[in-house]
Amino acid sequence: MADQADFERDALQYAKQLYSAAMRMTRNPADAEDLVQETFLKAYRAYNTFEEGTNLKAWLYRILTNTYINKYRKESRRPSEVDLGTVEDFYLYRRVGSEESAEVARTTEDRVLDGLVESDIKKAVEDLPENFRLPVLLADLEGFSYKEIAEILDIPIGTVMSRLHRGRKAMQKSLWEFAVDRGLVPEGAERP
Amino acid sequence: MSGRECDDALTKLYQYMDRELDGSNLELIRTHLEDCSGCLRSFDFEYRLKIVVRERLSEEVPPEFIERLRDALARESSAPL
Repeated sequence: MADQADFERDALQYAKQLYSAAMRMTRNPADAEDLVQETFLKAYRAYNTFEEGTNLKAWLYRILTNTYINKYRKESRRPSEVDLGTVEDFYLYRRVGSEESAEVARTTEDRVLDGLVESDIKKAVEDLPENFRLPVLLADLEGFSYKEIAEILDIPIGTVMSRLHRGRKAMQKSLWEFAVDRGLVPEGAERP
Repeated sequence: MSGRECDDALTKLYQYMDRELDGSNLELIRTHLEDCSGCLRSFDFEYRLKIVVRERLSEEVPPEFIERLRDALARESSAPL
């Protein structure tokens, strides 16, 4: 059992990280800050039920995602499925190659990875349907393991893996479109 | 990216990237990536993309965010139960 008096000392270190995730969930600073505050207040009230020595960061993210789902998901109905029928694996990689040489391909890869700006990446994640967005955020932004994500979202590990896989594919499709819009890829760059 | 060995490796590539493999699965993909430059390059790209995504997703907190959070917690802890 954790002592409520220790909550600030133990938990506050994760506040900035939670804010980044909250921003990608709510898409605006005011809601993100509210969401983090609410998460911390709930966590504080429940801190005597937290088992000391277990994963505090994952526990906080579980409260964050549950709070988000209960409070905000109702407000913005978005499609929970995305049509990935034509999106193959390694979508982006397959499109940034070159028929000329590995050298040229490498240059294109670098240009795309350097040239996709913060707002592109943020938009690509924010546009994902909720079911995919949360696993992608937890894995790619926070570095949680599949098992931790399964516990945070209360879904089986197999579901985590398939949503993460599909979410990343959908994200790559958007990133490709941004790369084209920004002129980062030459005509006919597709990998042979 | 061709051949059955490549197909096998590629289905596990994301698990490898996410450090979710161990034992013989880990050994298998490591050996394959050493031998196959095509798969290594695709892995390298996916891995660099993952890092780019993480770096460009993080967000500066607004000014005095932590102070406001501390205040909210202080109000909560002084509130009568």
